[in-house]
Amino acid sequence: MTTEQRKPLIEVKHLCKSFKDAQGNMEEVLEDISVDFYEGDVAFIVGPSGAGKSTFLRCLNRLEDATGGQIFFEGVNILDNKVDIDRHRQKMGMVFQQFNLFPHLCVMDNLTIGPVKLQGLTKDQAEERAMKLLERVKLADRARSYPNQLSGGQKQRIAIARSLCMEPDVMLFDEPTSALDPEMVGEVLEVMRELANDKMTMIVVTHEMAFAREVANRILFMADRQILEENDPVNFFENPKNERLKAFLDKMI
Amino acid sequence: MRIREDFYLNFIKDDRYMYLLSGLVNTLLITIVAVVVGILLGFLLAYVRTTHDKTGKWKIANAFCQLYITVIRGTPMVLQLLIVYFVIFASVNVPKIIVAFIAFGLNSAAYVAEIIRAGIMSIDKGQSEAGASLGFSYTQTMLYFILPQAIKNVLPALGNEMIVLLKETSVAGYIAMNDLTRGADIIRSQTYSAFMPLLMAAAIYLFFVMIFDSLVKKLERNLKNSDH
Repeated sequence: MTTEQRKPLIEVKHLCKSFKDAQGNMEEVLEDISVDFYEGDVAFIVGPSGAGKSTFLRCLNRLEDATGGQIFFEGVNILDNKVDIDRHRQKMGMVFQQFNLFPHLCVMDNLTIGPVKLQGLTKDQAEERAMKLLERVKLADRARSYPNQLSGGQKQRIAIARSLCMEPDVMLFDEPTSALDPEMVGEVLEVMRELANDKMTMIVVTHEMAFAREVANRILFMADRQILEENDPVNFFENPKNERLKAFLDKMI
Repeated sequence: MRIREDFYLNFIKDDRYMYLLSGLVNTLLITIVAVVVGILLGFLLAYVRTTHDKTGKWKIANAFCQLYITVIRGTPMVLQLLIVYFVIFASVNVPKIIVAFIAFGLNSAAYVAEIIRAGIMSIDKGQSEAGASLGFSYTQTMLYFILPQAIKNVLPALGNEMIVLLKETSVAGYIAMNDLTRGADIIRSQTYSAFMPLLMAAAIYLFFVMIFDSLVKKLERNLKNSDH
């Protein structure tokens, strides 16, 4: 199946982003990035730290404000200031490195507050939806627990379920396993693997190279503020062309 | 029995205890209304200040709030009370208790604003990002996620501010308000005996501060139980 014939779900055009550093100088972190993501894509973004991977991901739902370019999501340029970004964010789930669960709400309320307040679901409808997701991440028995009572791996699975509870069209993962103890990484990856099998559109920033190779249909290599190479998993690892990527992969082993 | 006679003279004779009782009612009334005014206005000030700090919007409103907080915190309460009574309401006939509500409320708001602002700033940025990423607006995120956690964090400080306010109202006598302190002082001036009325007033303040304190502690415990 060729992805070129389909209409992209997310179309990034000439995206630029610069920060002002402590001295007041402009420092560029993303330099003219153009890339398309399609429905059903499981796109992994890898690369050395400081390359701008997370910044790029956070620009996609405008947690970071881009300084130039356009991002079309479902046909709308969401970088346009007239756009109601809150409405579009409902369709873009995001999973954070630090989980960011709401500690004052129980697990169930963490999941249902979005659908109830933003999508007009009744509490019962939302809880029904949430319960299915909690079963999917195998934490149905923790519905009435508070986040502080959960392990890191459990928290991240709840965070994934919370995003899914809004029934988004795309899920953004920002280093979802980087803050976890090694023995908890597996359970989170398992949930992500199932999501990918269910054809959820996913864009994942990660350092889990083996997992990327197993699950992704596209891998993007980011370094020096740009996407330097993109390929399917096999060719990405077997036939890297870019010198930076070759050096990066060498260091990985 | 000196004490017995003293007690009779200062509190029972001519129903003098009524000075304390009516004074206490005024003191509590002023405190309660000022706390409510202070919290409402303080929230508003804190909301403007943090919104400016986080988003860069509302420059003029923020400058005004900052000026307000600086002036109120930088001048004595007694002077503020006198200014509200003798300057702002100089030509209008307003009941003194209303003047006290306004003066103490405005004063408390400045302190409450800074307490709540500190609370909001203490909440991790990830919380607002999580709210935003689900599609909540800035105001909704504040209301559902940031403020509930912020208030819990600053509850001891807020409770302390209320206790300070309760005692601070004792300067209401400067505009001839009959509050608890002034009630005790009136008895003293009539009986020429200072010990009994002044210590009684002090004991009553202490009693209410302790009640207040235990209520705040109880609330803290309840909030704490709700998540761990």
